[in-house]
Amino acid sequence: MGRRDFIQTGLGALGGLGLTSMLGLQSRAAAKSDTRCIFIWLDGGPSHYETFDPKPDAPSEIRGEFGTVPTTVPGVHFSDKFPHLAKSFDRFTVVRSIAHAQNNHGAGNHYLMTGAPTPVPVGCGAYVTFHPSYGSVVSHHRKVEHGLPGYISTPRMSRSGGPNFLGAQHAPFVISDNPDKKDFRVRDVTLPRAIQDGRAKSRVELRKSLDQMRRMTDAAAEDPAVAFDEYYAKAFDLVTSDEAQKAFDISHEPEAVREKYGRNDFGQRLLLARRLTEVGVPFVTVYNGGWDDHRSLFTNYKKSKAERLDIGVSALIEDLAERGSLDNTMVVLLGEFGRTPKINKDGGRDHWSFAMSVLMAGAGIPGGQIVGATDVKGYYANENIYAPEDFASTLYTKMGIDPQTILPDTNNRPIQLVNNGRLIKELFA
Amino acid sequence: MKRLLPLLLLGLLSGLPSLRASSPATISFENDVLPIMTRAGCMLGSCHAKSDGQNGFQLSIFSFDPDSDYREIVYDARGRRIFPSSPDHSLLLLKATNTIPHEGEQRFAKDSEFYKVLRQWIAEGAPRHIPDEPEPVSISITPPELSFKKNETLPIKVTVTYSNGKTRDVTHLSEFTSNDVAFAQVDHDGNITAGAVPGENSVIVRYVEQVAAVRVVIPPDKLLPPETYTALPKNNPIDELSYARFQELGLFPSDPCRDDEFLRRATLDVLGRLPSLEETRAFLADTSPDKRAKLADRLLSPAHRFEYADFWATKWGDLLRPDTRRVGVKPVYLLDQWIREKFRDNTTWDDFVTELLTATGSSHEYGPVAVLRDKREPFEMSEFVGQLFLGVRLNCAQCHHHPSEKWSQDDYYSMAAFFGSMKRKGQGISAPISGEPEYWWFEPGGKVTHPVSEAVMPPKPPDTPVFTDMDPDTDPRAIFADWLTTKENPFFARAMVNRIWAEMFGKGLVDPVDDFRESNPAANAPLLEWLARDFAEHGFDQKHTLRRILNSRLYQQSSEPNEHNVGDKRNFSRSYRRRLPGEVLLDSISLITAQPEKLTGLPADARAMQQWNHLLPSDFLDAFGRPDSSAAPPCERETGGSVVQALHLMNSDRLQTKLSGKSPWLDELVKKPAAEAVDEIYLRLFSRHPRDEEKQIGVRHIGTPAEGETTRPQIEDLVWSLLNSAEFVLNH
Repeated sequence: MGRRDFIQTGLGALGGLGLTSMLGLQSRAAAKSDTRCIFIWLDGGPSHYETFDPKPDAPSEIRGEFGTVPTTVPGVHFSDKFPHLAKSFDRFTVVRSIAHAQNNHGAGNHYLMTGAPTPVPVGCGAYVTFHPSYGSVVSHHRKVEHGLPGYISTPRMSRSGGPNFLGAQHAPFVISDNPDKKDFRVRDVTLPRAIQDGRAKSRVELRKSLDQMRRMTDAAAEDPAVAFDEYYAKAFDLVTSDEAQKAFDISHEPEAVREKYGRNDFGQRLLLARRLTEVGVPFVTVYNGGWDDHRSLFTNYKKSKAERLDIGVSALIEDLAERGSLDNTMVVLLGEFGRTPKINKDGGRDHWSFAMSVLMAGAGIPGGQIVGATDVKGYYANENIYAPEDFASTLYTKMGIDPQTILPDTNNRPIQLVNNGRLIKELFA
Repeated sequence: MKRLLPLLLLGLLSGLPSLRASSPATISFENDVLPIMTRAGCMLGSCHAKSDGQNGFQLSIFSFDPDSDYREIVYDARGRRIFPSSPDHSLLLLKATNTIPHEGEQRFAKDSEFYKVLRQWIAEGAPRHIPDEPEPVSISITPPELSFKKNETLPIKVTVTYSNGKTRDVTHLSEFTSNDVAFAQVDHDGNITAGAVPGENSVIVRYVEQVAAVRVVIPPDKLLPPETYTALPKNNPIDELSYARFQELGLFPSDPCRDDEFLRRATLDVLGRLPSLEETRAFLADTSPDKRAKLADRLLSPAHRFEYADFWATKWGDLLRPDTRRVGVKPVYLLDQWIREKFRDNTTWDDFVTELLTATGSSHEYGPVAVLRDKREPFEMSEFVGQLFLGVRLNCAQCHHHPSEKWSQDDYYSMAAFFGSMKRKGQGISAPISGEPEYWWFEPGGKVTHPVSEAVMPPKPPDTPVFTDMDPDTDPRAIFADWLTTKENPFFARAMVNRIWAEMFGKGLVDPVDDFRESNPAANAPLLEWLARDFAEHGFDQKHTLRRILNSRLYQQSSEPNEHNVGDKRNFSRSYRRRLPGEVLLDSISLITAQPEKLTGLPADARAMQQWNHLLPSDFLDAFGRPDSSAAPPCERETGGSVVQALHLMNSDRLQTKLSGKSPWLDELVKKPAAEAVDEIYLRLFSRHPRDEEKQIGVRHIGTPAEGETTRPQIEDLVWSLLNSAEFVLNH
């Protein structure tokens, strides 16, 4: 039994356990939506102090080396490493009050990437999956057309970013190659260069004339060869779609735009993500590692990573806004937790899950808004505190998915997407 | 709400359950109240039985913890949920009838029987128990078996027998689940509606902790005359027992497959690779009548033990190998090598399992210790063993009674007790490195306790009496392994032959392979029994059972359906087409093109099937599905197709590079006449000669080379076309 069959019979099998009554609970299912999401993951946990929640009045061992920069909203300051984002602040919200208690990478990744805490304690190095990730759920929920993947992750899958019981077809399609390179191509979705002439066409025709194994036309037979044909038809659809092919080819982008995002790996991935979401991919994760600054945090932030983030993400948001795509594209920027208030002996900050800042833009999220706050020294979220479940509920709702949706896992147990999450109401203007 | 407050306060002051009605109570909390709430949907995993409850009201899933449910209903929320002096004002009833707004809407009406019973229970003072309260001992279903016309609906009745001997109709208090909703559906009240496909399955009925299954039979519209079956060739009892079943179901088996199909299928199923050119030519040319049996012997002979081991170790690696990031690289590598060695030596399954289950020592010296290091707690180990070697999914019973089987928490923790006497020292789990060894050994006196009753559980397998006179100085795991691997063991041989069967036919006789339940019947129970007995009598030798299967006419059927079996997806009356696993496809392509895949951490000419963990990077294997090693094994693999797979086979640069790279075979082909080249390509990829039309198309495409050029590109196109066709990607 294939996974999809399982899910179908699984859902049906729940019937006896009262599926109708469960569905009855879902009368407030969110409206159909075509919102897309660009999910920027700062792996390791960025510092809230050195990004969106600076504490200039805190003692120096907390305040750190950096100054602040005023934003478009009077009285709101970011760390001075983010001047471009400060200028674009009227296009996004920063939630300064997401807090949880999963203070290591393994558990924190899982919590923020799925909306579910791990059911058992896991260690820092754990790469675990107990629950489907946002991208996999979106892929499962959306019927994506023309053979496009429903969930793309670049340059790699994030920890806990997998499908869990939703099955491999909702695992992210990983684009590992660097779009900043001259010969970059999205793998597999375009014809190999060697045959990009008339040969491609003749190949396709040859294949068609030779793929003669008899198909069982009776649907009751559930012939995998028939399913095979459907997948190939969609694959050809994608390969021959001008629109999709243009989206994959980042070289179509005007040089000026490419420059705006920053001519580096990360900047160009953001631009690629924009192109992919525009053509209909509903969920793209842009993974950006290296934020676990236990040592030399200030030196590290002075290097390119903060600047690239500042330039790339502000360019993305501005670009989406100019193109009129921000209304149906949500941009989310976060890591698994914040960093410790006190700078440690190695000039770094350690893990701190009791406060973190999350940037959210698009899909009706108000601009120039700060949600929640931490205390004066930045130790704890202390106003409008939200949990990862709340973040997850908000994300799903924005994507048109009811966070209370119930799906059967491999043991046919009913699993709710998010348990007891509430919406971050400030994001619904 | 406001006007209720004084009343609620009154309820609070009245000192709740001490308030008793004068006449003896008649409504039982466990036998009446909880079943009603279950039926009403209150105790669903999506409602009040969620891990955090719903709006502060938290019930146990499947009401497995009545004490806690009682506390929640009667005492929690300052006792405002029930109100004995004015039962109709109990929050429980007001919410359930949606009299005051209830997120779950109305669960039953005020004039319903459910309401009356709950109201009476509250009026009687909401007792935890009533005097002489009986326990349900068993439930029976009438009729126990139902025969349906297609799309017909019939009711069933559920009768409980209590410990006091009394019986009662509890149809209205029971829950019903169809084991296969495509086959038959069942509504809330136990009315079963048959589907349109003949066959047999079951509907599961549950009342309190009692579970029973009713057999649902949909006979075929028309049976074929018995002589139709007697005329069929029978190679061994697999065929006899299968025909008997087909006869009952009105199915007729497909024709025998062609020789080339048998060669390809058998080689893929036993060794996980395509037949070589030489093997194909020799087999097709062989005119001896027993050449299929000879092929079976050849595939199973020690000469092929390395290929055999790598293929079967890949399957078992999915089930046994932990995540390297959790238990460390070296332990996983050692375990992987151990598994390969066992298959190379064709270690019989009783020895394999005994060695695996009784492992002790250093994680950095002895492979099977990796399993201990991964499944650190006794219950983790017993769940794993139950699922793999007993075919029983005990994991539900960790927290609550299994919803569709008889397994209880007692069964769960008794089984875990076999694994509760292990000690360890050394580095624990400190992913991602876990670089240092850990040592495991047996030390007498370990205990496993029941989490609710806190009783110390004696080691006991499910459905088996407690072992008397267990030597306290013997590792209980060894006692368990001895019990497991006796010929008479009711679980082991069945579970193992079912797994072997599933590998050869694409689906188990019991499906899913590790979900043996009375309520999940085998497609052909007598056949499964025979296979299990035959397997046990032949020393749990996997190759023996494989040979039986290979030699059966059933295995040698065509995948082409006939009018009497086209809808059959469960009874094996035709060969089921299956997609080749990722490793098999990748290795085949590498072999055909003579371009080995570069595999991280393995020698240059290694095959994908030799990979010892699933984290080694490969876009190909990601596309074609490999287990997610960050989920706990036993892991499932995606076996279906996808657009990503199609795209990868069509367009991947690596595949194109392989096709256009230096390849002795392709380079030779270029020099041959076109017709010969086409023939050879078909033999290599499809294990058959091309049909005339195919040959013509191929020859026409190859054509004649232009001056100074070769036909290499055209030959590559031809190979590409065949690689991207259903006949290549599927085992058929």
